[in-house]
Amino acid sequence: MAADVHKKKGWEVPNGSLVPADGQHTERSESPTPGLAQGTEPGAGQEGTMFVHARSYEDLTSPEDAGVTSRIPEEGQGDEVDQTNMEQISKDFSELSTQLTGMALDLEEEMRQSKEDKLDLSPQTCRRDSVLSGKEEEDVTMDAWRMHQKHVFVLSEAGKPVYSRYGSEEALSSTMGVMMALVSFLEAEKNAIRSIHADGYKVVFVRRSPLVLVAVARTQQSEQEIAHELLYIYYQILSLLTWTQLNHIFQQKQNYDLRRLLAGSERITDNLLDLMARDPSFLMGAVRCLPMAAGVRDAVSASLQQARAKSLVFSILLSRNQLVSLVRKKDQFLHPIDLHLLFNLISSSSSFREGEAWTPICLPKFNSSGFFHAHISYLEQETDLCLLLVSTDREDFFTVSDCKRRFQERLRKRGVYHVLQEALRTPFYSISQVGIPDLRHFIYKSKSSGLFTSPEIEAPYVSEEEKERLLGLYQYLHSRAHNSSHPLKNIYFTGPNENLLAWVTSAFELYVCYSPLGTKAGAISTVNKLMKWIRKEEDRLFILTPQTY
Amino acid sequence: PRGSPPPLPRGPSGVPAAPSPRPLGGPRPAVLAIPEGETGSVHKRGKPAESPPFPPRGLSCPSGGVFASGVMLVGDSGVGKTCLLVRFKDGAFLAGSFISTVGIDFRNKVLNVDGVKVKLQIWDTAGQERFRSVTHAYYRDAHALLLLYDVANKASFDNIQAWLTEIHEYAQQDVVLMLLGNKADSTQDRVVKREDGEKLAKEYGVPFMETSAKSGLNVDLAFTAIAKELKHRSMKLPNEPKFKLHDYVKKEVRSTGCCKS
Repeated sequence: MAADVHKKKGWEVPNGSLVPADGQHTERSESPTPGLAQGTEPGAGQEGTMFVHARSYEDLTSPEDAGVTSRIPEEGQGDEVDQTNMEQISKDFSELSTQLTGMALDLEEEMRQSKEDKLDLSPQTCRRDSVLSGKEEEDVTMDAWRMHQKHVFVLSEAGKPVYSRYGSEEALSSTMGVMMALVSFLEAEKNAIRSIHADGYKVVFVRRSPLVLVAVARTQQSEQEIAHELLYIYYQILSLLTWTQLNHIFQQKQNYDLRRLLAGSERITDNLLDLMARDPSFLMGAVRCLPMAAGVRDAVSASLQQARAKSLVFSILLSRNQLVSLVRKKDQFLHPIDLHLLFNLISSSSSFREGEAWTPICLPKFNSSGFFHAHISYLEQETDLCLLLVSTDREDFFTVSDCKRRFQERLRKRGVYHVLQEALRTPFYSISQVGIPDLRHFIYKSKSSGLFTSPEIEAPYVSEEEKERLLGLYQYLHSRAHNSSHPLKNIYFTGPNENLLAWVTSAFELYVCYSPLGTKAGAISTVNKLMKWIRKEEDRLFILTPQTY
Repeated sequence: PRGSPPPLPRGPSGVPAAPSPRPLGGPRPAVLAIPEGETGSVHKRGKPAESPPFPPRGLSCPSGGVFASGVMLVGDSGVGKTCLLVRFKDGAFLAGSFISTVGIDFRNKVLNVDGVKVKLQIWDTAGQERFRSVTHAYYRDAHALLLLYDVANKASFDNIQAWLTEIHEYAQQDVVLMLLGNKADSTQDRVVKREDGEKLAKEYGVPFMETSAKSGLNVDLAFTAIAKELKHRSMKLPNEPKFKLHDYVKKEVRSTGCCKS
C-alpha cells in the first residue's frame, strides 16, 4: 500500500505537466538502483516526455466518473460480491428471470454445459481459436462457440447487444439480457457486481454508463487485468463516437441500438482484443519504440517538426505498432492509451495501405468530448512506415496532406530516407546482445517516459501458443505486482519451464525471463548488468529528446 | 488526479468538433447533419461563407496540360464503392472479406481523355452513418459524384433518394452526377431490376448504368464518361461539338448480357 500511495503522489503533477517536480532528472546515474527517482531511470526523456504521465494500469482500473465511483465499491470492500458463488446468484436470479423472455438462457446451465464439453475435448482443440474465421460463421449454440478462451460482450443499460467478440449479437440478445439482469439485480441493493468466479471461469463486469462490458474468460489473467482489457474496449468505442455523443444518444433514446452507429467497426474492436493477447504494450500501458540510432531518429523528428500546420496537434511516425517518432504541440500531451487506440486503428485495416485516409477520431484520454481528424497514410506502399497526422480541423485535409508531402521532402533532403528503411529491416534486437547467458527475454518500462523496450521473443518461445504463454506469465507477474490490496515490489517466480523475476520501483518496471536452470542468486546478480546494458543502449531503444512544433 | 484537460478540438466557428449525434433513420441530412458553422438555414447550398465558390479547395484548374478534378464515390455501406475504385485504378477485384473504409480515402488517377491528361482526385467515402459529418465537409470539393447502390440490396436502392437529398444539400450546384447499380454480376441475388434503376435515374435526370467491380462491367466507362464531361466543361474548345454525357453513356453502356443493349 505504501508504494501505491507514494506513486499516487507522483502522478499529481499540476496540469498534466510532465517534468518531474523534483527536477532530479539531470543526474543520470550509471547503475540504476531502486532508489532512482522518476525521470532518472534508463529511457527517461531528457527534456520532458511525450505522454501524459503514464499511470497505465491504475489509470485504467480506477473508476473514472463520479457516477461510476459511487456505484463501484472501493477495492477490497467488494469481497462479498467477489465471493458470491454461482448458485446464490442463480437462485436470486431465478426470481427475476420470469420477467425476461422465454428464450432466456440460464447462465449457470450454459457454464455447466461448457464444462462438460471441455472434458471430452483435447487441450489442442480449445487452444486459441481466435484465428478461426470471421464471426459471421459462428453459431452461438455450437460447442465451438463455448470453447473460446475469452468472450467479450458489450451491451447497453437497456440490455441491448452492442458488441460480441464471437457470434452475432442478435443471437446473443437473450444472454445479454441475463447479464444486464444480473447487474441491475445487484444494483437494486446498492451493490455492484464485479466478477463471478466459477468452474475455472471468470465473468468480469465493467460498468461505464451507458454501457456495460462483460468478459467471460478461462485465461489465467486476474480479474483486474480482464477489467483492464474491457476498459480498453470501452475507450475504443469512445474513440469512434466520443463520450458526449454516446451519452447524448442514450439520454434521448434508452433502447437505442448502438450497433447502427458502430457498423463497420467490429473489425477494429476484434483487432484490439487480438493485439491485447499478444502485444505487451497494453499490459505495460506504455509504448514501444522502433530501435534506431539516435541521430536518425532526431533527423526524422526534425523533419516532422518542420512539416507542421496550424491545426496539427500530433505528428506520429510508426511502423507495425512501434513508435518511430512523435512530435506534439507544445503543452499538449498524448496518453499512451490514446496512442494504443491509434496504433490499433491503423493495424486493423489494410485500407490505409493506399491513398490517404482522413477520419474523425476521438482520443478519449485527451478529450472524450470532441473529435480530432486524423490523416493516415503509408510513406510508401511496400514499407510499414505509417504517418499519422492528428489535426483539430475537419476542413484541413489538403493542408495536412501537404504536411505529409513536405515531411517526405525533408526526409529526402536530409538523406535519412535510406537509413530509415535500413532501421526497419531490424525492428527487434536479439537478447544475445545483452550478453547474459541464462537470460531469455525481458520487458523494461521507464515510468516517466511511458516507453518500454523488449527484445525479440526467441526460442524456445517459437509457436504462437508459447509466445502467448510467455506473455501470460508476464501478465501474472504484473497482476501480482500491481495487486491493489497487496502490491509487491520484487517477485521471483520459479516455474517448470522458466524462472521469472519482476522488479517494480517508482521509476521503472522490469520483468525478466531466465532459463529454468539458473538460480535466484544468479538472476539477481545479472539484473544490474541488464540495467547497465539498457542504460548504454537507451538512446537507441527510447526517445530521449521528444520534440514539439 | 488528472490535470485539467487540454482545450477541446474545435471546429472553424469555435463549436466543439463533435458532430451532432444522429440516432435516427438513414441519411437524413436536412434535419440532423448541418455542418458546423452553419446556423441552420435549410435552403442554403452547403457552403460556409468563407469557402471560395469555385473551384473548390485543393483542386487546380488547367495548367501544363494536366487538368485536375475531384470525384467522390457515395452510397450506403457495403455497396462496393472501394471495390469499384480499386477495379478502376488497379484493374483488380478485391475478393474475400469486406473491409470497410475508415472516414474518407483520397487517391489520384491520371486519365488520358482525348489527348488531354485529366487527373482525377478520387474521394472514396465510408458509407456508415458515423462518418457522415466528414463526408459532408468534402462534398463541395467534388466536381463529380458517383452514387452507388447494390442491385442485390434493396435497402441501398431505397436509400438513393435520401442520398440525392443530401447531395442537393451539400454538393456544388453544377456537380456532375451519375447513378450506378453495382454488383450487376450477381444474377442470383439480384433484387433491384435494371429498369427500376433506369426509372429512378430518369426521374432525377441523371445518367445511369449498371456496373460490376467483379467483372469490370462499365467500370472504366463510368469514370471515363465523367472525366470527359469534366474536361469538356472546363476546356470549352470553340470548335468542338458539345459533349452530352447522357448520350455518351447511352451509346457506350453495356448491359449484363452478352451483347450491347
